[in-house]
Amino acid sequence: MSTIHAKRAEEYLHDEAVALRHDATFFGVRQKRDRMAQALPEWEQLRDAASQIKKHTVTHLADYLEQFAANAEGHGVHVHWAQDADEYNAIVYDILSSHNVKKVVKSKSMLTEECHLNEHLEAKGIDVVETDLGERILQLMKLAPSHIVMPALHVHREEIGDCFREKGLMENLKSQDNPTQVPSDPNDPTFLTFVARLHLREQFAQADAGMTGANFGVAETGDVVVCTNEGNADMSTSIPRLHIVSMGIEKLIPDLRSLAVFQRLLARCGTGQETTVYTSHFRGPRPGGEMHIVLVDNGRSSILADPEHWQTLKCMRCGACMNTCPVYRRSAGYSYTYFIPGPIGINLGMLRDAKRYADNVSACSLCMSCDNVCPVQVDLSTQIYRWRQRLDGLGRANAMKKLMSRGMTILFNHPALYTTTLRFSPAANWLPSALMNSALNPWARGHLMMKFPKKSFHQLWKELEKESRNQ
Amino acid sequence: MNSKEKILSALRRNTRETYEMPDLGALQGITFDDPVAQFVQKTTTTAGARLVEVHDGDDLNALIRQAYPEAHIFASNIPGIQADMNPDTVGDVRELMRVDVGIIEGRIGVAENACIWIPQAMREKAICFASECLVILLRRSQIVSNMHEAYALIQQSDEYFRQYPFGTFISGPSKTADIESALVYGAQAARGVTVCLID
Amino acid sequence: MKIGLFIPCYVDALYPEVGVSTFKLLRSLGLTVEYPESQTCCGQPMGNAGFERLAEPLAEKFDTIFAGYDYVVAPSVSCAAYVRNFHPDILGRKGHQCQAAGKTMDLVEFLHDVVRVESLPSRFPHRVSVHNSCHGVRELGLSSPSERNVPRFSKIIDLLRLVDGIEVVEPERPDECCGFGGMFSVEETAVSARMGLDKVKRHMATGAEYVTGPDSACLMHLQGVASKHQLPIKFIHLAQILASGL
Repeated sequence: MSTIHAKRAEEYLHDEAVALRHDATFFGVRQKRDRMAQALPEWEQLRDAASQIKKHTVTHLADYLEQFAANAEGHGVHVHWAQDADEYNAIVYDILSSHNVKKVVKSKSMLTEECHLNEHLEAKGIDVVETDLGERILQLMKLAPSHIVMPALHVHREEIGDCFREKGLMENLKSQDNPTQVPSDPNDPTFLTFVARLHLREQFAQADAGMTGANFGVAETGDVVVCTNEGNADMSTSIPRLHIVSMGIEKLIPDLRSLAVFQRLLARCGTGQETTVYTSHFRGPRPGGEMHIVLVDNGRSSILADPEHWQTLKCMRCGACMNTCPVYRRSAGYSYTYFIPGPIGINLGMLRDAKRYADNVSACSLCMSCDNVCPVQVDLSTQIYRWRQRLDGLGRANAMKKLMSRGMTILFNHPALYTTTLRFSPAANWLPSALMNSALNPWARGHLMMKFPKKSFHQLWKELEKESRNQ
Repeated sequence: MNSKEKILSALRRNTRETYEMPDLGALQGITFDDPVAQFVQKTTTTAGARLVEVHDGDDLNALIRQAYPEAHIFASNIPGIQADMNPDTVGDVRELMRVDVGIIEGRIGVAENACIWIPQAMREKAICFASECLVILLRRSQIVSNMHEAYALIQQSDEYFRQYPFGTFISGPSKTADIESALVYGAQAARGVTVCLID
Repeated sequence: MKIGLFIPCYVDALYPEVGVSTFKLLRSLGLTVEYPESQTCCGQPMGNAGFERLAEPLAEKFDTIFAGYDYVVAPSVSCAAYVRNFHPDILGRKGHQCQAAGKTMDLVEFLHDVVRVESLPSRFPHRVSVHNSCHGVRELGLSSPSERNVPRFSKIIDLLRLVDGIEVVEPERPDECCGFGGMFSVEETAVSARMGLDKVKRHMATGAEYVTGPDSACLMHLQGVASKHQLPIKFIHLAQILASGL
């Protein structure tokens, strides 16, 4: 009866030290975010503005997309349109193969994960190199991201060091003009980052094309805005001459004035920084270069038609909802069955394929913290509540919860039955403790059973009433 | 219908209620009594850069070399700046990956987050990222309080962006915390940044 | 002012003393309090579990039962929040305008905002750690959510300060969820229990003898976790502390 999420989470929690560390790591990011929020008097105004701008933009999206595409084309950018993942993958492959690209360096893009672009290109013989450090670590280890912004924080330094040594990354230390010694801790993060730096800079130099995602598309100017801390998107697009941008159509914002609002919120919410190190605006191809933007729908236009869930289109993928989610922090990314975990991932998974990703809907205690950190005020918890209402219709309702809900309804709809039951409930106290606290009773797995009092409030009320009357 | 038309018509068909653009005029970004002091503080703390104050009569080239005494290859296209390589004339862009110090010009400094606006006023922007270290020249008078003010400048005046294919805000050296949240400078791009604040 | 006492089903069955304290407290403030005996449940357990339609007849019944009162007061934030925030939609779908939502309040906000109590005869000479239930914080606004940049306040602490001899503390992560979440605790047992244990430990780290809060459901969960792990800390509903002198 447990969902896949519940089962995987239980396994994950078996290693208490790992689980506590994961929780502490991401709560730490949440606290950094809080300090950012407290430092700006206009914080809540910024959130209001961001939400309103996004609501406006996604409900005028066709107009803004036309404006954006026209401006980008005016600057010499090739703009492509993809209705779904297959069309998107085909467009990217066509661009790459027509330029005879053998190796592409890529900065982080959730859209390419969504469309499984890497697998598609690799099957056709193109070497795809992720250049975000976390993503590269995962790619070398053949692991999936566990978080959308900090994808590899669940991997420990020893595992990363072993992977780098096994994959021959240490060789770069020797071939330099100034050979670098391995420090006493061979898994020191600074050292491993340096090893990765040499490795990745080699990749940038060898690549024939660079791919980036887009944090924002500015309709007024046709700018594609990409934010990173590492500078990997900029390295990917400064060395190779061909630049392909993959952009979900919901990434549009009207103008630079709006961009200020989002730029100020993104890093503060996502990682608790005042800004990402690089906020890069791509307006056209660089001299002697070529720039392509692929605008991808892949289900987004249908989300717009859903009166209960269209506001997920406001999401700018900052990851703040994951960091604050007490369930995400204690179950980690791999417990979820959709590639985006946490509150927004639960919702996006359901919008992708409700029947397939229904297992994640249990991963929410409805605490509503996510609603309050979200920079664009997506009502994440309410949406999860709404998805729960749809599970029964999808044939994905939890049988036990259904049984319990039905049982309660019968009881609660019949006050006489309810009060009779109450009168007899203390009898439960006399059931053998072994039965009450057995594995058959899910509540008993984490708790000792509560004791029923001798009298319910219903019964006590008679006495209180009498007492009041006598006063 | 092609894919573009299909996507646009699906969006128009699926749009239910529409919402107005909010009035952003009411949104006041944080301002500072002394934006320059705030900029200096942010640059040298959270952004993790060095800052050199340059006054009238100082020898900028000497200051830059003083800041990087071990460096061999300097690159720049700024008139008057001594350099071994020029991003406007370099043959193969990969050459710029050997640069020890790239010297570039910032146009706007932002006090709230130490961002510096750098339009691509060069042929190869790789100088801004591939150089081991960056020196960014910025005038004190170009410092504003927040990103609203910075984007307003970029939007209103052609000189900041309109003539360039690319522009970026840079706030200190390249950083990562992808390995166990340990903050490390110099992920892939510049490992160190020195901001020269010019009178 | 006529007040309808709403004693949620699980309080009725498991924590009747919370109902008694609530009643005595309101009565001591000179208010007319009645307890409509045909009440059962607001429907929240079914709604949160994904069976909101099963809550429809209960919401309807709730509206009828409490029709004659100026205020409906419950010693349970989560139930009060469900009536206020969800009943209007549930009934609206049936073309029925919900009456109860606008006048249903949790005990804390009723005492703090409507009655505006300034003194209480109660005494509770203990160190008490406040448990901020999620729905109290984020649906009813009993305290400022830690996520938001709003002036800091806590109506719970305001009320507790009226109690003689009490020492009030808050745990680290003062409004992180304890992991109850109704059916969540049944379906996601491992995560729920982990959250509960973390929360109990943070309350204990304050050195408090008691954990108190406005919602018996959270306290029930925490008490179950604490006793499973044999952790020595006691749990008491806020109403019982406020009514301790009565």
